[in-house]
Amino acid sequence: MIDAQLAAFMTRGVSIIAASRGPGNAPTIARAAGCRLSADRGRVTLLLSKSQAGALLESVQATGAISVVFSQPSTHRTIQLKGADARVEPAADDDASVVARYADAFAAEVCPLGYTEQMMRALVWAPHGDFAAVTFSPSAAFDQTPGPRAGSPLKA
Amino acid sequence: MRLSLAAIRECLDGAVPSAIATCAADGTPNISYVSHVQYVDESHAALSYQFFSKTRQNVLANRRAAALVIHPETAARYRLELEYLRTETEGPLFEKMKARLAGIASHTGMGGVFRLRGSDVYRVLEIEPVPGRVLPAAPRPNLLASLRDCAERFTQSGDLGTLLDSALAMMDKVFGIRHSMVLMLDGTGKRLFTVASRGYAESGVGSEIAVGCGVIGVAAAQHTPIRITHMTSEYSYGKAIRESAERDGLGSLLETAIPFPGLADSRSQLAVPIAVGGRVLGVLYVESPQDLRFGYDDEDALVAFAAPLGLAILYLQHSAEAHDDAPAPAGAPPRAGGRPVPIRHFAADHSVFIGDDYLIKGVAGAIFVRLLRDCAERGRTEFSNRELRLDPSLRLPELGDNLEARLILLQRRLAERCRFLRLEKTGRGRFRLVAERAYALSEA
Repeated sequence: MIDAQLAAFMTRGVSIIAASRGPGNAPTIARAAGCRLSADRGRVTLLLSKSQAGALLESVQATGAISVVFSQPSTHRTIQLKGADARVEPAADDDASVVARYADAFAAEVCPLGYTEQMMRALVWAPHGDFAAVTFSPSAAFDQTPGPRAGSPLKA
Repeated sequence: MRLSLAAIRECLDGAVPSAIATCAADGTPNISYVSHVQYVDESHAALSYQFFSKTRQNVLANRRAAALVIHPETAARYRLELEYLRTETEGPLFEKMKARLAGIASHTGMGGVFRLRGSDVYRVLEIEPVPGRVLPAAPRPNLLASLRDCAERFTQSGDLGTLLDSALAMMDKVFGIRHSMVLMLDGTGKRLFTVASRGYAESGVGSEIAVGCGVIGVAAAQHTPIRITHMTSEYSYGKAIRESAERDGLGSLLETAIPFPGLADSRSQLAVPIAVGGRVLGVLYVESPQDLRFGYDDEDALVAFAAPLGLAILYLQHSAEAHDDAPAPAGAPPRAGGRPVPIRHFAADHSVFIGDDYLIKGVAGAIFVRLLRDCAERGRTEFSNRELRLDPSLRLPELGDNLEARLILLQRRLAERCRFLRLEKTGRGRFRLVAERAYALSEA
């Protein structure tokens, strides 16, 4: 479902937002601070701050339902992935470097649009050791780039 | 303490797009980005409905939504828990969002893509700050102190012209807003005419905008402030003026005879109705060449500024007609020196040309011709507002037409376009026509 080009897009300095289903079908939402993929690109892992994404992590744990958008601010290109088997795991040892690389890439992507680097780094900052990993196998992918075709299934 | 939506309004303005999460009937979550979240009141927000998206499908099935919004300066983030209530497809909220969306769309190169179909109104159930790093906010001007400053000065103007000029001077000196104007609604309720402006190369006094066209016209028609954070061609003056002309047919070429004074490189705009007792008198309009110049707080401040301005306008208008001062001693009779300058009057629209130059039309044109005739035929130079109001030949409406504003318009057009005729105020509700050359009035 995810080709090499899409994987590269997802691990660049794009904005990453995840949502899940809380009690009573009320959605939960949080920003992620990095993404990595398994070698075969069959599994996607998001890194989220436990202190910032508590409700989302709980609902992922409880339901396995997840939806993630990857959006590139400079082009508006936006992809949404959905999965039903998401699990919350402790972050891996080298995930700190994934998060650090992501913060650099995100600042580099967004600062030319007029935001300050300080502001962009604050946006993706979380305390050291605060990260959890959410891993899922995408079961659907959609093109979410703004426009009338937003929401159409992604052609592989 | 529970956070109020008003306290985090800066996060809603679209400087950083907000994300909205919803769940389908089967519980599958979905996320979409929205260009801005519209603040409705302390506990309601609205989202733009542009396409029949998954988000819309989901909230129709399951009313709950969650939004993640970001402060554009401090990076403070908030999670909003929302409940979908209804969709509005017309009216003030819809028009406000339509204008905003058009601005944002054009700014982001999405001009042809974004079109507002409805305003989806949500109840805000909960606002939760997301823990994390928050940058200090830059000190902001104290708008409340500015307003107080203005309120104290409002009472000091003795006539409408001075009041409007001083209101625009306050915009500049107190609020730091360099480009501003006041337009008044004419008696038909269909057009607005510029009566005072500040910060433009040409004053544009007398230029017109049709009610319902452009930022200014929509603000008057909907009786609601219209604020654009990124200017768009969709609400450009050119377009508004073209539409005005089209609406009225070809007979209205004179509508465009006086160019509208707006900034060519306008990026932020705010039009606030000036209203008293539910009746729109005119529009206070400000603009800036800077993106995102006017926020929610500026909108509030100008709405609060426009309220006493409206009362002061109404007060001065009534006082000029109800209690005129004693007549001033007669001024010098018209000097009949030189070859008379031809002045032509077209009765159909009361347009008046001095030589070949267009001066004015409509009610102000009719008043002007009445003054010229009285002066030429009876040697009268001293006039009162009240006699004009009572003159059946002018057919001024009892209320609704701001006679004082018409006189200011005439006075200013003369000052800008005519070297030998002028109107001078001689007291409350009194003025004088000064003619320094002979003229020959003819009916065309």
